Order: sequence, then structure tokens, then C-alpha cells
Amino acid sequence: MSSNMLEIASVFMFFIGFYGVITSKSIIKSIVAISLMEAAVVVFFLSFGFIDGIMPPIGTDLVNVADPLPQALMITAIIIGVAVTAVNLTMMISLCRQFNTMDWDDVRKDTE
Amino acid sequence: MIGTGFILPIFIFFWIIGAVLIVKEQHIHRLLVTLGIFSCISFACYLLLASPDVAMAQAVISVFATITFIVAFEKYYKYADRSVIQAKPSMVKFLAPLCFCIVLAAMFIYFIPDYPFATALRDQYVSMFKTDIGGENAVTAIYLGYRLYDTVFEALILLVSIMAVIHLSHYKDLAAPRGMPSEIQNSDIAAVTIRLVCPIMMLLCIFLIANGHISPGGGFQGGVVAASLFVCRYMIHDLYDIPIVQVINFEKFIFVGIVLLGALFIYLSVQTYFPINQTAYLVAMNMLIGLKVACGFLIVFYRFIAFERR
Repeated sequence: MSSNMLEIASVFMFFIGFYGVITSKSIIKSIVAISLMEAAVVVFFLSFGFIDGIMPPIGTDLVNVADPLPQALMITAIIIGVAVTAVNLTMMISLCRQFNTMDWDDVRKDTE
Repeated sequence: MIGTGFILPIFIFFWIIGAVLIVKEQHIHRLLVTLGIFSCISFACYLLLASPDVAMAQAVISVFATITFIVAFEKYYKYADRSVIQAKPSMVKFLAPLCFCIVLAAMFIYFIPDYPFATALRDQYVSMFKTDIGGENAVTAIYLGYRLYDTVFEALILLVSIMAVIHLSHYKDLAAPRGMPSEIQNSDIAAVTIRLVCPIMMLLCIFLIANGHISPGGGFQGGVVAASLFVCRYMIHDLYDIPIVQVINFEKFIFVGIVLLGALFIYLSVQTYFPINQTAYLVAMNMLIGLKVACGFLIVFYRFIAFERR
């Protein structure tokens, strides 16, 4: 699978997550869709320079290895992603406590 | 990697199918199960993309994130019954966002650059990291050496997000009393199984942190495993008795330690009259980052547990 195909697949994936964010009625489903977008971004970065038969950049004899820089950045992105998810869930619980609902429409009605 | 060219498209296909299923799912319990399966497929995709470090991070993080989702959802199950089964959306509400997303995706795909991948920086990193930073894992060498600033600011963002969690979940009259059993009913089978699994997890945590500079793993992954250990402890003993304020202060001190150790390493590597032990630096830094991440996720989990207990 070439690097270009992987990039196209991850762009599709990102917009599947985006669709989920803008159309879901439940707040918890929007948060799950945001984590889908994060997964798409990770695959997009990991597919830079990917060719079949490439090796992980670990070990003593390093020939024909993958680029280690996007991998190091993506570990950071995954940890930040779960921190963002935790903050989102906390905000969701605060909203639930205030408006007694998990539905975007009801929250909007209550604030009007 | 034998067979990557054949297996990877299959996994990518199931990955996209899993995402579509998550977006279309109406029932929240099924949504969380599908999210777990999706994380598992993501793990396989990252592994097949020749990045075992990222795959390891995804594996441990998806366990922790799923637990957090379940705890957050169980706390607010009573509000959820209206959004579980949604009414079928009208045609306009279904088609207009779909067209919008397809147009945006087509634009992104059209503008993906197709010039050849520049390999100069990769070759530089791969050929020089053993003498510059040390260790045998190029990924660890980058996030603890060449890109140390990124790691420091990542630790800072983690600190800030934990403060946000604490601040947003602060309700004085609903705060959980310390040392009290929780309301969640635990089964004996789960407690016995977790007692058996805990030592293996502890070994895995120590292995990931101490061996992170020569094998896949490192501070982030080991730290999340350590936080999961505390989640397991909660499931066995069912007590809210960790002094969370001390843990928060301890985490801040560890952040200062990360900054000071990184600055010391950068200072010592640019001068020549004082030799440094690179392996000791890598292990110590991985240990500090592991402690930091473990404290952070422990605080997040305990805030979620303590959110509304009366």
C-alpha cells in the first residue's frame, strides 16, 4: 500500500470523524468522534515516506527504516489526545449536572 | 515486516468500517464496545506502519480512555436514556453535512502534496542519534534529545489539562469523603482476576520504563500502565483513599525535575570537559516522565470516580 493511498484513507477517516462531530445529538458521541479524528491524524503523519517492507527505527543495524520524527511527535499527540478527551468528558459531566441532559438540542433549548 | 503489503490494506479497510460504525451507532453501550474494537484495529495499523512505539502508546492509552469513558458514562447514565435511541434524522439534516464533508475531503485530497519524500533529516537522525543522544531506539532519542522542548511543553499541557479537570469537577458540597467505599459494585471474579494480573502489569510497567531506550516503550507508555495499576487497585479495594492533593503537588515537582534534567543534559552536551552517561540520562528521564504521566492520569481517574458520590 503506497503512502499516497494511506494519506487519502486518513483524510477520509478524518472527515468521517468530522461528520460525527457535526451531526451527533449526544454529547458523548461527539467526544468519541473527536478521538476518531485524532486517530486519522496519527495515521496521516505515520504514512509520510512509508513504503512496503520498511523497518521500525529500533536496533543496532539501521538500514531502510521508517522516519522516527513523526513517530516521536505522534506519541506526544496520543497522550495529549487522551488529556483532551478527559477535559471534554469533565465538561460534559458539568453540562449534565447543570442542564440534566446529554443532548445538544436540549442544552441549546435551555440556554435560549 | 513480512506480508505488510498484503495485510495493511485489509486493516485500513476495517479501520474505516469501524469508524463508520461508530458514527452510525445509536446505542451508547455498543458505541463504547465498538470504540474498543476500533482502538484495537488502530493498534494493528500503527504496528504495520513500522512504528511499534506509537502502537504501544495507543494500546495502553485506549485501555485507559475506555475506562474513563465507561466511568463518565456510568455516572450519568440517568441522563442518557433520551439520547440513546435517536429519532431518524430528516433528509436535509443527513445530506447537508454529508455533502459538506465530502467537498472538504475532496479539497484536502486534491491538495495533498505529491512531490517525493525528503529523506535528509531522517538520514541525519538515524545515522547520528547513537552518538548524539545514545540508546538504540531512535524515537526515544528524538523525544528525549533532539525534540526535548516538545516533550517539556507536552508535559506542561498535560499539567494544564489536569488542572482544568480538577477545576471543572470541583463541587464542595458533593466532594467524596476520603476512605469511604465507592458506590460501584465490584464482582469477586473481577477482584481475584485483577489480583493475579497486577504483578504482571507491574513487571510490564518497569520493563517499559527501564528498557525504553533500547526497545519499544518509554516513559509515556509505562506511566499509563502504572496509572492503570492504580485503577486496578481501586477495583480490588473499592476505596477512595489516595491523598490526591499530595499527588498533585508531587506532579508539579516532577515537572520541575524534567525541565531541570533536560536543561542539564543540553548544557553538558555542548561542552567537552565533563563526560556524561547517556544511558543514565535516558533512563532517568524516562522514569521522570513515567512518574509524571502516572500521577496525571491517576488524578484524572480519581476525579472521575469522586465526581458525584454522596
